[in-house]
Amino acid sequence: MAASPPALGPVLDEVIRKRLLIDGDGAGDDRRINVLLKSFTKWCNSSGTPEEGFTQRMLGTLAQCEFSMGKTLMVYDMNLREMENYEKIYTNIEQNITSAHEKITECKKEIQRAKRIRKNRQEYDALAKVIQQHPDRHETLKQLEALDKELQQLSHIKENVDAKLELRKKQFHVLLSTIQELQQTLENDEKSDNDDNSQECPVENGE
Amino acid sequence: MGPVELLHMSVFSQSFSPCGRFLAAGNNYGQIALFSLSAALSPDATTRSQKPVLTFTAHDGPVFSLVSADGRLLSAGNGEVSAWSWSDLIKKNVRALWTRRPKYKSSLEIPEINSMVLQPRDNSLVIGGGDNNVHILDLEHGVFKSVLQGHSDYVHCVSVRDRESEILSGGEDGAVRINSRLCKVFCARPQYGKWISCLTTDSDWMLCGGGPSLSLWHLRSLSPTSTFPLTGCQRQAAFHQDMILAVGDGASVSHCLLAGEVKAQIPCSPQSLNTLQLNTNSSEHQVLTVGGSSSHIDVFTNLSYRAFSLSF
Repeated sequence: MAASPPALGPVLDEVIRKRLLIDGDGAGDDRRINVLLKSFTKWCNSSGTPEEGFTQRMLGTLAQCEFSMGKTLMVYDMNLREMENYEKIYTNIEQNITSAHEKITECKKEIQRAKRIRKNRQEYDALAKVIQQHPDRHETLKQLEALDKELQQLSHIKENVDAKLELRKKQFHVLLSTIQELQQTLENDEKSDNDDNSQECPVENGE
Repeated sequence: MGPVELLHMSVFSQSFSPCGRFLAAGNNYGQIALFSLSAALSPDATTRSQKPVLTFTAHDGPVFSLVSADGRLLSAGNGEVSAWSWSDLIKKNVRALWTRRPKYKSSLEIPEINSMVLQPRDNSLVIGGGDNNVHILDLEHGVFKSVLQGHSDYVHCVSVRDRESEILSGGEDGAVRINSRLCKVFCARPQYGKWISCLTTDSDWMLCGGGPSLSLWHLRSLSPTSTFPLTGCQRQAAFHQDMILAVGDGASVSHCLLAGEVKAQIPCSPQSLNTLQLNTNSSEHQVLTVGGSSSHIDVFTNLSYRAFSLSF
């Protein structure tokens, strides 16, 4: 119970008096304990028979106080356990955060790799498109083979024709040389005949 | 940078820094702007972080090509190549390391440099220019090693095949030349012309397009495998994982599959796009950036939608 300092004004005095009257015992549990104490002292000091339910009332108030105390103790326990729980959750979340960070860096590396693979695949596609435009290798090989065969055939034919040409050339050469020889012989014969004739004539002329 | 200039600005080239945190973009006024990707992609980014951290004038003419190599940024403009150090630029110290000009035949008219690409095998820079030739600059000694001739009109784009160390160049004459030996001349869409403006290779495969439709070629057999039914001329294309990304005339980035079908077209803010770059240098800022005929550069954090825009 605070004593009003006499130096302050009468208004404060009035306020304090009012508060003490209404709220003199404090609030809630405090009030109950104070009331209990007061009634106990009254009961102790009362001479003669006390009222009927006085003891009951006091026991009731006592029980209420004990109950309230038990409740507060439980609330305190609960708070302690809640705090532990929150600590656990907090560490858990921190761990999750770090692992998520690591996963993120892993995924970023993955995505870089995947992008490179994708780029390579696109390059392959582009090259494949170009390659498709060119004809098939088998076909080209076949064409080459066919052309080779044709070339061989044609060179064969050419050889044959060349050989024939040579042969004919040689035959004609033989023929022509024989004719020439015959011509020579005939000419020679004619010449010798003429000589004979001209030798006989001067003999006749000279007679 | 007045509003009229911003309206007429086109972004022609982009390049990411070797650490992957900065983007350099070149525009048609000869300026190069450096954007900080880490600031723009951070959770507390504001509109200020979408502005460049540094803008400087690099060349007289438009910067058509930017290449990052070895801690240096190489920029091409108006017939000359300049090198800037990335660490210097990040510290906002604008100082060109060197400037080289290939030997052009005539000194009256200076042809522009349309495209540059790095050949890491022998540490050289391949430059395709408006004088119909491809010049090769040795980055170690800083001298021009050789000139590949053969194109009859100016060279739009160059690309290298690293394994075989071949140089592919495509030009206005519609021909794609490998090491300046003629490889393909073709004309699939005569209404747009026969110029080849975009060329990119993935060792065995080559994408080329421009006037003719964008098509995929297999380089070993030199045969076209698929054509992509995209309207408009494509200006730049890239292979990304299992897809092909292409930008060009339409206000969208096209995602295509290797087989020849267009999977998606993602709209962007510039009306027509000139350049497309994927940030492969950094693992946490893997973005795709596109720039074109506007002063905005669209940034895609997920390839399926535009996240935000950086602006000059």
